Amino acid sequence: MIQLKTVLNVIDNSGALLAECIRVGHGGRYGRIGDSMTVVIRKARPIPQNVSGPQASSSSLLAAKIAIRKGEVRKALIVRVAKEMRRPDGRYIKFDDNACVLLNNRGEPLGTRVLGVVGAELRGKKWGKIVSLAPKVV
Amino acid sequence: MAVPTLLAPAENHASVQMVLVTAENKERQVFRLIGSKTESLFLQRLNPRKISWTQVYRRMHKKGITEEVAKKRSRRTVKRQRDVVGATLEAIRDKRNQKPEVREAARLEALKAAKEKKRAEAAKKKAEKAKVTQVSNRGQQKISKQQARGVQAKASAKSR
Repeated sequence: MIQLKTVLNVIDNSGALLAECIRVGHGGRYGRIGDSMTVVIRKARPIPQNVSGPQASSSSLLAAKIAIRKGEVRKALIVRVAKEMRRPDGRYIKFDDNACVLLNNRGEPLGTRVLGVVGAELRGKKWGKIVSLAPKVV
Repeated sequence: MAVPTLLAPAENHASVQMVLVTAENKERQVFRLIGSKTESLFLQRLNPRKISWTQVYRRMHKKGITEEVAKKRSRRTVKRQRDVVGATLEAIRDKRNQKPEVREAARLEALKAAKEKKRAEAAKKKAEKAKVTQVSNRGQQKISKQQARGVQAKASAKSR
């Protein structure tokens, strides 16, 4: 049940850490796994200063290229929710936190990696790329 | 703390009421709970060893029929006598059951026979050789190979 003001963990390597929902994409009341939304970045990793130096690693270069800063408005995809939801087989599944992955305006993931478990509901909803990036799908 | 006995077996999904994905340690783990009762107990982090109806408790306190885990027996090789290539079982058995004296006697016998044979051979050889030399020495002087080619005989030393 992601709605206005819900704060979610960001589980990709885009540089953002926490994001607050300001609008759920489909126009309904609550967002679930597989819904896109608009977020504002509440907390982000500090952007390294000397990114052009020879020691700059690929991840810091990436962060510099995208440059997520606190207060930015971005698109995001919900990948975990704490509210239990019913699966077709009768089971219910719930996670212990709410989490999202940042997207660009075309609906593609901003980061190159997904760093945690994602819900299997993404599979049926054209988010195959994020499913394949995730280390585990539950 | 994992609470295995409050959970449904991983394969038996039919009995699963709730799938809970939590970060127990650093890794996110999946817990399959069989009902609200077990979910509640799980979230209270109760120890299944102290809840009297769990399998673990019953096993710990020896309730009901306890299935003793049979000790694994190591396989032992069984010795068996049978025929080998050319030798029948009887022959092998005879050989094995021989007394040491008999064996010693047989060995001496064999030794004696071998010696006898050797001696006989040696005698035969000697006789033959003697015959040959007799034949060749008859009627001619002893001439060395060098002399036969016409070289004069070496003067034998008369003084040192």
